[in-house]
Amino acid sequence: MAMRQTPLTCSGHTRPVVDLAFSGITPYGYFLISACKDGKPMLRQGDTGDWIGTFLGHKGAVWGATLNTDATKAATAAADFTAKVWDAVSGDEVLSLAHKHIVKTVSFTQDSNCLLTGGNDKLLRIYDLSNPEAAPQEIAGHTSAIKKALWCNNDKQILSAADDKTIRLWNRSSMEEVKTLTFDTSVSSMEYVADGEIVVITYGKTIAFYNALSLELIKTVEAPAPINSASLHPDKDFFVAGGEDFKLYKFDYSTKEELESYKGHFGPVHCVRFSPDGELYASGSEDGTLRLWQTAVGKTYGLWKCVLPELGGSAANILPDTTGHLQTSVDGVHALMEDLGAENSEQLYTPTPEIKA
Amino acid sequence: MATPVSVLRLPKGPDPNSRGFDPKSPRFIALCRTSISSSAASEADPEQLQREQHARSVLRENFLRCLLSMSNKKVQFHMHEKVKVEATFGASDIDVLNFQVSDLHTPIGVQKEALIRCQDVISVTFDV
Repeated sequence: MAMRQTPLTCSGHTRPVVDLAFSGITPYGYFLISACKDGKPMLRQGDTGDWIGTFLGHKGAVWGATLNTDATKAATAAADFTAKVWDAVSGDEVLSLAHKHIVKTVSFTQDSNCLLTGGNDKLLRIYDLSNPEAAPQEIAGHTSAIKKALWCNNDKQILSAADDKTIRLWNRSSMEEVKTLTFDTSVSSMEYVADGEIVVITYGKTIAFYNALSLELIKTVEAPAPINSASLHPDKDFFVAGGEDFKLYKFDYSTKEELESYKGHFGPVHCVRFSPDGELYASGSEDGTLRLWQTAVGKTYGLWKCVLPELGGSAANILPDTTGHLQTSVDGVHALMEDLGAENSEQLYTPTPEIKA
Repeated sequence: MATPVSVLRLPKGPDPNSRGFDPKSPRFIALCRTSISSSAASEADPEQLQREQHARSVLRENFLRCLLSMSNKKVQFHMHEKVKVEATFGASDIDVLNFQVSDLHTPIGVQKEALIRCQDVISVTFDV
């Protein structure tokens, strides 16, 4: 029986969601952080989208957000000229790192000891988090605002994308530029896949895949609309992309074929990322929401539940799912909102009021 | 016609009354150390921990009583950059991030209603 995708909408933000990141898989599951122009980045449980907490303290739009692998630390980059490091368990602000201009991107090394930042002052900065008072190392070179900066090659190198239409690869030890990729148009996003050393780059309607070590082009794929962000599945069988036409696209990585497209967002999609287990992907949009989408539509996972067809869709036989979230009784099933998949469905609940800080 | 995938419920949204990070969650209990480093729970003996907890609750209670007794009184804020302003204290928000004040006397005039950012405040003085 064909199943139609039911995205899960995470509300709570009041302005566009511009960045999102997943943690690794921890003993408590995996987590998702979202950066929003309302200045209040939020932490959510990765497989359900349940809100865990809001990091309060920034005084301007938050442009970038990231979690360390075990989700004990979070870092955010904001328009208030600071990058902040947070305790992602208690929600407390741990460090505030002053910059000379809007900070756009933050990235932890794998051991969480160093933080890479980049922004409108065109400099890459490396902070030693065990010695935060010390001045950061600075790498200059870009001629316009840096949009995204990531560690790669086992934290030995740095990849940075800027509005100067270049992507540059730097050696951390020498702080020198190793290679540069120049494009005709501004790069909209960059994602690094450590396993396989692949960089996913989007610009215009193109999603391009490069070798992260040599910056050699692997392949490019054209989408039907301008793309703002793309993410490659951990198994490298598909990738997803979203952009200006509000839709999410799913492509086969090997054949480059467009497999599916999903409507749901009410505004351009700014960021899209696969979860660390590849079971779902999250998208953040201008409409202020995050949506979670299933990779294998119809599979029981997180809040999605598989309904066996021979029971007339009543779900009387509830299957235990791998995450242990299935707790509703048979009667409770009738209260499920079956029409969540409708493309133009109105909001099924009113968003909770903004947190007063 | 494809059937939409059923869901158990929608993702939970933010709590309007708090910033979250539930201290009763298993992750918090397992990973969060008490904020004063001298009392890493595993090292301290239970008696010392109890005394420290008692002291902490006394201090917290005093702080909250101070906030209560300040309401509707004229208070002086000593802030960074050698700023000293006077206002009538209204209330604090739950995370003590902002103080609501009225009639804030500033060098450029009197602000009828204002929010003072707590992280900018060094001390608050008032007559009991």
